[in-house]
Order: sequence, then structure tokens, then C-alpha cells
Amino acid sequence: MSAVLVGYTATAEGADALALGARLALVTGGRVEAVLVLPGDDRGAADPSDSGYDRHLRDTAREWLRDGLAVLPAHVPAKGHVRYGESFAAGLVTAAAEFGAELIVVGAGGGGLRGRHRVGSVASELLHSSDVPVVLAPADAREVPVDAGLPRITAAIGTRPGADVLLEEAVSLAAASGAALRLVSLATIDLPAGADTGVIRLTGATHAEAVLEQARASLPPGVTASAVVATGDRIEDAVGELEWLPAELVMVGSSRLAQPRRLFLGSTASKMLRELPVPMVVVPRTRGGAGARA
Amino acid sequence: MSAPRQTKDAPVTTGLSQKGLSAGTVGLIGAVVIGISCIAPAYTLTAALGPTVSAVGLQVPAIILVGFLPMLLVAFGYRELNNRMPDSGTSFTWATRAFGPWIGWMAGWGLVAATILVLSNLAGIAVDFLFLLIAQLSGAEEVAGLAANPFINVGVCLAFMAAATFVSYRDMQTTQMLQYVLVGFQVAVLVLFATVAIVRAAGGSGFDPTPFDWSWFNPFAVPSFSAFAAGLSLSIFIFWGWDVTLTMNEETKDPDRTPGRAATVTVLVIVSLYLLLAVALIMFAGVGEGEYGLGNPDIQDNVFFHLSGQILGPLAALVSLAVLTSSASSLQSTFVSPARTLLAMGHYGALPPRFAKVHPRFFTPGYATIVAALVASVFYAVMRFVSENVLWDTITALGMMICFYYGLTAFACVWYFRRQWFDSVRNVFFTFLFPLVGGVVLAVLFVTTLVDSMDPDYGSGSNVFGLGLVFVLGVAVILVGVAVMIWQAAVRPDFFRGRTLSLEAPGSLRRRNRAH
Repeated sequence: MSAVLVGYTATAEGADALALGARLALVTGGRVEAVLVLPGDDRGAADPSDSGYDRHLRDTAREWLRDGLAVLPAHVPAKGHVRYGESFAAGLVTAAAEFGAELIVVGAGGGGLRGRHRVGSVASELLHSSDVPVVLAPADAREVPVDAGLPRITAAIGTRPGADVLLEEAVSLAAASGAALRLVSLATIDLPAGADTGVIRLTGATHAEAVLEQARASLPPGVTASAVVATGDRIEDAVGELEWLPAELVMVGSSRLAQPRRLFLGSTASKMLRELPVPMVVVPRTRGGAGARA
Repeated sequence: MSAPRQTKDAPVTTGLSQKGLSAGTVGLIGAVVIGISCIAPAYTLTAALGPTVSAVGLQVPAIILVGFLPMLLVAFGYRELNNRMPDSGTSFTWATRAFGPWIGWMAGWGLVAATILVLSNLAGIAVDFLFLLIAQLSGAEEVAGLAANPFINVGVCLAFMAAATFVSYRDMQTTQMLQYVLVGFQVAVLVLFATVAIVRAAGGSGFDPTPFDWSWFNPFAVPSFSAFAAGLSLSIFIFWGWDVTLTMNEETKDPDRTPGRAATVTVLVIVSLYLLLAVALIMFAGVGEGEYGLGNPDIQDNVFFHLSGQILGPLAALVSLAVLTSSASSLQSTFVSPARTLLAMGHYGALPPRFAKVHPRFFTPGYATIVAALVASVFYAVMRFVSENVLWDTITALGMMICFYYGLTAFACVWYFRRQWFDSVRNVFFTFLFPLVGGVVLAVLFVTTLVDSMDPDYGSGSNVFGLGLVFVLGVAVILVGVAVMIWQAAVRPDFFRGRTLSLEAPGSLRRRNRAH
């Protein structure tokens, strides 16, 4: 049974992550491993540690996990774990390896616009260090019922190489969950002043269509996918043009600038993230580590 | 230490990657650095040297040596309790276990009050040195005088408190490397300061060159017992914080030996520094009441502030920087203590439950931290307007509060272990004799200081309604504590009926063994 690792905190974002993690575990037949990361000793030296306080913290953390998990429906296989790490992200990456998790889910809604993502420092650090796909739960992800299933997966195919791993992940997740697959290519037109809008739009769109066609062609036999080209003056506009189902999932590839097997959110994905009302999965550029599936 | 309990049916695990993963990372030097950083010698000495001189004159070195003894004796008891019942409430929890809720509550109150007093004093000293440093670096001497303006002073002090609260609330930690550098710098500057003072005094260019005399080390040369008690309760303050080295067990590489050695090395370093500085400054400036004499009430609440320029000239900025960094680096460890005690009091129902709230992201006692900061800020602001010598009087009142709650803690140790006193020779000393003597000494100091401080001329000479300000402070703090306690007992009877934290006295291990 595959594991979905949820980076839990006793906050709204933690509830977002847990609800989404539970939904993903249900659709993939996996289990939830909710991990609360407490600060370890090795971060700093100024604070004389106090074993009494450490114990209080541990008990509190366990209670938080218990309360958080109690909200989930009984048929979701879920366990809670308290772990220690230099940082939240570092603790999650270690825990992902410990549980052989294939996804790490964290809440990314804090402080952002309502219903939108905001890459906080935690998510950002995680994206820089994780070797398994990271799922960013938007604010209010906890409002989507755990049993809502996964009606569709949208893979955002870039116009540059490196999309093959993303495509494989999307196909395998769609197969595991029975979700429909939609391929999207975003085309932007950075307008020089006075340029002929129509022409540029056309060129951009044509290029995007070609990329999509190529991606579709590379799908394994038997897998079908719809394909959409979204255009706009800016990425944000292009994303806004698409229609989204409340329970769907969007997958993007890691930036080309990321180190192999590490995630890093490129500028296009960051811009998308700000506009998206649905959870986003960031897939590493190459396969490996705990997330490797044969 | 308590092992993680894992019940089979509990859906929540604590797992293998315990905090112990990083255990054993602190070596001897690391532990000593943490100890020195917590004591913050540059800060404590500039705050306490003046009041101590005013109490015992030339015998400051003697008082520093003697003052360490009760601290040491109580620290042994502290360690016994900490090993037996590690709890973030420390004195509060232990005194409640030994003597019941009412005395336990007051011990917790004493700890919180003492740390809040020191927080406001710490920030006040930092403000003085901030302006001094700016003056020294810019060459505009009038800037240093700005610190005397109560409005500017209180404003900047509140800004410092806010910054320190933010750092504690967010649990931002300095790296170990930075801490090494800060502590190393602090010690180096203090040694330089003392050496130059001695050289200049010997060369006759001191303010009031006073030839060194061994009688400075003779505690019996102190004129009266009152002076002796006052000096002693001040010198207890300068060792306050040292006990953390004794209780660092889990994180040291060799838990059996490192804490003991670290505590020894730390105290040797600290005592040497204190003696060196005390002797150097007395040799340089004397204890007279002249402009820069250590007996001058105008400079006594912050002696380094007034003397560093005289002694080091252009290098005086180093002293300002050392005191500033010393105050800053001890702020975090100082803030942690009242917040954690308040948290424990909230947890056991001795205070409203929101005090027990842990911040879900920063994992700090957020509410308790903010309450402690607010009280310390208001306290400082009020005191600054009530008394010009606020720093001086808070240090003296602080010494008294430390005697109060440390004394209670020592007695709690003695009483808690009453059935195990004679289990072994070790127990006779560490659970009975040492804490008992330490506790009695602190109790005597507390009562003597309290009685003496009724005199309006006591301490800095500030007085309220004809009573010494130190007395008013000490009594007010305790009476407010009693009032809040009665209020809480009415609202939250469970704790006060012993339902959340009950009396306890572990039985003798010997008798139990014989029964088997």
C-alpha cells in the first residue's frame, strides 16, 4: 500500500493538507502518514534545552495529531507521527524516506488570497529539497469532502523539454486513481508595444499546440487525454481562461534549474500557483529516491 | 529521563527518530559556552557591581566568592529534582509536589517575578549601552545623555522588549558558531578591560588608584551582617543561570561527566572573570563617592557605562558592544524561563488554560511569552518614572526574589526526598544537607534584606511612603502574587485541591528492597 505523507500542523493549512492527503490516499488505495515535525536540538545552541518542556511539546504534538486525525472518516487508513527535524521541510523529507511515501502533502494557503496558493518559506524549502512529488494544498482544501474522489488530473505541459517525467507521473496517478487526464499548454504573449496582437497570439498558440500534440503522442497506448491550449497576455491570464473542477489536481514539472531529483518551482509554475484554486503537484525533473516507481 | 511510551492501539507514534537523534552533540566546550552565555557576565557585573560596592565596600571579591556557595548548594537540589521530575514548571511543579498547591503557586510566582524583573533590567542596561555605543562611534558625546531622558529611554526599551519578544515568539535561534563568537568576544573584552584598569591603576593614572589588599577577600571584614546579607543576595544574582550547565544531560556527549565538568569549568571562568574585574575596577576607581568612584550613587547602577571611557579611552566602544551582545544573547534564555513556568501553571490549571497554549507553528509558549513581555514592559515603564535609580533597585529586589523562589525550591528538594535521605551517603548530602543549608542561607538572606530594606535610605535611597523602594517592590510583588493566587483559587479550584498535581514523596528504595 502506497503512502501519502502529510506535513501536519495544528493550523488551517495543516487541516487543508490532511484533508487533501486523505482524499489522495483514498483514490490511490494508499494510507495517510501524518507527520508533525518538532524542532530538533541541532538548529541552534542558545536555548538551554529543558526536557520537561520537550516532553510537554511532544505530548501536545501527539494530541494535535490525534485531534486532527479524529476529523477524518473512519475508512481512511491514517496514522500520526511526531518527528524531529532541523526544519519542517527537512523533517518531512526524512519522514518521506522513512515511510517510503510517494507524495508529500503540505498546506500552502496561509496568508494568501482566499482560495489561492501562496508559496510560503516552508513549502519553498520543501520544493528545494524533496525528491518525491510535493502536493501544495490551497486554502480551503479542507472544505472539499474526503470522499470527493479525483475527477480529473490536469498536467501542465511546458514548452520546453523535461516534460516526460511529469507525463509519466500524471499517467500513473491517473491510472491509480481512475481520474481523467487533461493536458494543458499555456501560451503567453509578452507584447512589445504596438505589436500585432493577433499574429503573436497565433504563433504562441501554434507552438503550444505542437507541444501538446507531441505529448499526446508519447502517451502509452490505451491512455486517452484531452488537450487544451490556454492563451493570455500573461501566464496568470492563461490560467484564468481554463475551467477547473473543485476536486481536481494540477501537475507541473519542476524547474529546469533544479538539481536532478530535486524539486524547484519555476517562474511559470509559481505564477500558475498564485492563480490556481486547486491543489498543485510539483514533480521532480528526474526520477529517483523514495519516489521511484518501476 | 522518560522514555517515549508507545501504546499499541494509539494511532499516534513518536517513533524512533527521537530528539535523541541529535543527542550527544554538546561537548564540554559547548556546554561551557552555553553556561557563560546564560549568565552573561558582562551584563550581570555592570548591573550588580555598583550596588554590591555600596553594600560591602572593598569586600566585593569576598562576597563574590561567598555568594557562590548558597547558589552551589541549591543547584545540587535543583539537579536532584530535575532528574527525578523533569518538568517545564521547575520550581512551581516541584514545590507543589513537595508542599502542595499554595506554596507551589507562590514559588512559581517568585520565579516568574524574578525573571520579569531581570528582563526589564536587561533591556534597561541595553538601552544605556546602545546610546553610549552610538556616542562613542559617532563622537557626539551628548548622545549618551539621551539615555537619561525617561521618555526616550522607555521608548527605546520598549522597542528592545518588542524585538526580544518577537525573537522568542518565533523561536529564532542563533547558530552555535555565532554563540561561540559572542561569548569569546565578551570574555576577551572583559579581560582587556580589567587588564588595562590594573595597569593604569598600578601606573598611578587611575581615577582613585587604590593599592590591592588581600583583605578584600576577607568576608569577615564586612562591617555588619546587614551589609553582608545585602551583598550576598546581590552576588547570588550574578551566578543566576549557572545551574543550566548542571541540568544539561541529554544533549551532552557524556551525560555522566560532561555536565559536572562543564558546570565546574563555567563557574571557574565566571568567578575568575568577576574577581579580576572587581579587583581591577576597585584598584582603578576606588570605592569613594567621587565622580568615577564605585561608591558614587550616580554611576552605581551601571558602572561599565561610566568607567569604560575612563579606562579604555577610544577602545571603550568594545565594552559597550560586549555588554550589548551579552544582554542580547542572554535575552532568549531569560525569556524562555518565565514563559515555560507560566505554561506549566496553565497546564496544571493554576492559571487560565490559554497560558498552556503552544504555538502550532513555532512551538513556543506564545501566549505566556507575550504576557511576560507585556508585564516586564509595563513594569519597566512605571519604574523608570517612579525612580531614577530603577536599574539599581530592580537588581536588589531581584536578588530578593531569587532568594525567595530558590529557597523554596531548595526546601522542596529536602522535603520531597524525605523518605530517601538516608538511602545512601550520596543522598544524605545531595537531597538533605546541601539543599537544606542552601535553603536556610537563602531564607535568612531574604528575611534580612526584607527587614533592612524598609529603611528609606536602603539601596539607591529611593522611597515610597517613607519605606525603601526595594522593600515596597518585594512586598508588592509577593502580595500581588497572593492576591492573584486567591483569585485563581476561587475560579480554578481543581489545582488548589490537588487534583491536577498531587503531593508526593517517593518512598525509600532501601526499605522497598528489604520487603522483597
